[in-house]
Amino acid sequence: MTGYLTRRLGQSLLVLWAAFTVSFILLQVLPGDAILIKFQNPDLGLSPAQIEEMRQAYGAATPLWQQYGHRLWSMLQGDFGFSVQAGVPVSQLLADNFPATLRLALPGFLLAAVLATLIAFGSNMTGLRWLRNALQSLPSLFISLPTFWLGIALIQLFSFQLRWIPIINPGEWVGLLLPVITLALPISAPLAQILIRSIDRLQTQPFVAVARAKGASQRRVLWHHVARNALLPVLTIAGLLLGELIAGALITETVFGLSGLGQLTQQAVNNQDVAILQAIVMISASGFVLINLLVDLFSPLLDPRLKYFQRVSS
Amino acid sequence: MHVTLRLTAIAGAMALISGMANAAGEQPIQGGTLIYLEQQAHTNLYPPAGGFYPNGGILNQITDKLTWQNPATLQVEPWIAESWTRNADNTEYTFKLRPGVTFSDGTPLDANAVAKNFDTYGRGNKAQRLPVSEVINNYDHSEVIDPLTVKFFFKKPSPGFLQGTATIGSGLVSLSTLGRNFEALGDARHIIGSGPFIVSDEKLGREVDLKVREDYRWGPKNLQQQGRANLDGIKILVTPEDSVRIGALLAGQADAIRQVQAYDEKQAQQQNFPIYAAPTRGVNDSLSFRPDNPLVADLKVRQALLHATNSKQVVDTLFSPNYPQAKSVLASSAAGFVDLSDRLKFDPVLANKLLDEAGWKPGSDGIRQKDGKKLALTVYESLPQPQNKEVLQLVAQQWKQVGVALSVRAGDSGSKTVDSLDPLKTPLNVTEVGRADPDVLKSSFYPTNRDALLQLRGSSNLVNTFRDDKLNGLLENIAAETDAQKRLTLTGDVQRYLIDNAYNIPIFEEPQVFAGAPWLKGLSFEAVGRPSFYGVWLEKRG
Repeated sequence: MTGYLTRRLGQSLLVLWAAFTVSFILLQVLPGDAILIKFQNPDLGLSPAQIEEMRQAYGAATPLWQQYGHRLWSMLQGDFGFSVQAGVPVSQLLADNFPATLRLALPGFLLAAVLATLIAFGSNMTGLRWLRNALQSLPSLFISLPTFWLGIALIQLFSFQLRWIPIINPGEWVGLLLPVITLALPISAPLAQILIRSIDRLQTQPFVAVARAKGASQRRVLWHHVARNALLPVLTIAGLLLGELIAGALITETVFGLSGLGQLTQQAVNNQDVAILQAIVMISASGFVLINLLVDLFSPLLDPRLKYFQRVSS
Repeated sequence: MHVTLRLTAIAGAMALISGMANAAGEQPIQGGTLIYLEQQAHTNLYPPAGGFYPNGGILNQITDKLTWQNPATLQVEPWIAESWTRNADNTEYTFKLRPGVTFSDGTPLDANAVAKNFDTYGRGNKAQRLPVSEVINNYDHSEVIDPLTVKFFFKKPSPGFLQGTATIGSGLVSLSTLGRNFEALGDARHIIGSGPFIVSDEKLGREVDLKVREDYRWGPKNLQQQGRANLDGIKILVTPEDSVRIGALLAGQADAIRQVQAYDEKQAQQQNFPIYAAPTRGVNDSLSFRPDNPLVADLKVRQALLHATNSKQVVDTLFSPNYPQAKSVLASSAAGFVDLSDRLKFDPVLANKLLDEAGWKPGSDGIRQKDGKKLALTVYESLPQPQNKEVLQLVAQQWKQVGVALSVRAGDSGSKTVDSLDPLKTPLNVTEVGRADPDVLKSSFYPTNRDALLQLRGSSNLVNTFRDDKLNGLLENIAAETDAQKRLTLTGDVQRYLIDNAYNIPIFEEPQVFAGAPWLKGLSFEAVGRPSFYGVWLEKRG
């Protein structure tokens, strides 16, 4: 087990380094850079020579490999550098925005999980055919709702027409209500689809037939025998959905005018603010690595057979 | 149709006037916090970078200027400067300052502070990376005569300087602000001015909070409002989504919003929410050619495209009466405007004839060709301009009728910035500058200013040959002509020159469109459409 963990951690570090390097290269390949975007602004009317001076002053003229080494070394020490556009340290921007995104994303993800569970198990437990069909078609509906449209529609309805929830300057938690729903609906869809399919598949398995033959009720079969096994693929997918969550947060934050990593990313992409983008890439990559690591470590708890594979392969 | 249009226009104008004059009839109420929704986050708040409207919306509340340009008459009137004199050739200006003015950090706004401000704006500061202000030409140095008298010296005549001291780019800031590097001025809390409001808090990219300055008593003396501002505070919230801004206003969640799309004006007016369309009095929303690109180097091609552009259709299809069709390079409310509508006629027959003469023959796909090359042009969408993508797409349809292809690109800011410096990649560009002085033409077209035409030895190293020294000479003359009447004549000459050479295709006079709640009173605007919340008050909501 220790060997397995060490190996997984080693792999994770390799993934993080690769993410850092690839993002560094990609950001360099893009046309223009943050300094040009900031200073080649017609409002400022600077000459090419003056802009060149700015480049020198910002150290953008040093060779790329030196910049790479410098950035990697600083990042290892926890220093994310300086945002050219905002003129503040990236760590300050992250401190301002990361908690805001967590406040949006965690409830969003939880709500998505709850919705998916309700849809999947609800459709399986109901005896009514029409309700089952209705519930099972919800995921396809949710997944085809564009996040920005959903956000605007919810605002129009609940804030502007019914006037239940203020959208401008709301209380901290009230203000999260609509954004969390906006974020959760599209993410609940793939979770629900996977869950429905894996429940259906498991219902036909021999061990379920055995349980039924022993006289277990539909409810007991579902909760005791099927649920645990059905969660396994969902867990794997949940790890992958982090990307969707970040993308959804970006749009949700823009539509609702919330601060957060999504909104920060959007502005940084616009301004090619490399220091911010690399910090965000590293945070997302760490999130991915961590979640997938946790998924792999937790899976054996749901399915003991996986323990054996880990032991054999380590 | 015409009658309704005119009625709406009158209603709009009435709303604007009543908005300004409201304080006259009713007694302002003190107190309350104004919620103001902005479309974009502010960028750098170094005052010379205040031209960007989100920046100006903040700077106009927290900084004062030496002089005040009366938006009704465009006359320059006293503010922090009580009086001024200048020598005959406009190379020396002396300002007498109002006593007792302080910055919000308690330091005095005296001759020394004013001198340091203009030394920085007029010459820039390389060590702190502070660029030169585009509204100050030919600046040399300053001299403190006594604590309340400051004198400025210029290398060449600088007749635009007096008006320049009234613009948003000349907001006065404390010595501590001037001591900071350019990068540090992206934080609104670092801008210490002497204005009626102070920045109390900011969430970068999201929100700026202003609070009233209780001891403020040096507003422009010709304003109705005197003493402290009526409001206790202003909350500026960045709300990028158009429909959310207008919806929130109409639902009573906000008091004022900037950037109302033309298609939303009607629903606001129907609910008695006034629209404020403030003119920007400068270079119109227009297309400028980069003649260094061989495709548009030929005058006939540019003229053909000028006459192939139906600006009336653009205005009628996409906009409201608040967006008048352009009659020249400059807006009709700009200083020195001349009406050149007869030279801007939409005439596809003439356009086709000119293109034929220039040797561009229609190809099999309808796009004209010459020597195996297609007459296909590219333009980047300009995000700050209203419905710019739709405008450009409509122009593209119009040009297609005469066999010219125009592809409209959105592009990321990096590609846009890089490509805009290359005349081969961007044969034309969207231009618009607001400033109520003839110098606005120089700001827009002079090679070391905004360089709209991309000239040799201007803002780009990628230009091969194009440079129009006749135009540049005319622009320099505007910046240096001391006789006010002659200066306006020169301004007319430049407009004629730009149109006769078809360097610029004017489309419409761009307003800054705001909407306010019915309970919002006393909103006014500086000469080119930046809101002033100094006199604003909020009526009790029943």
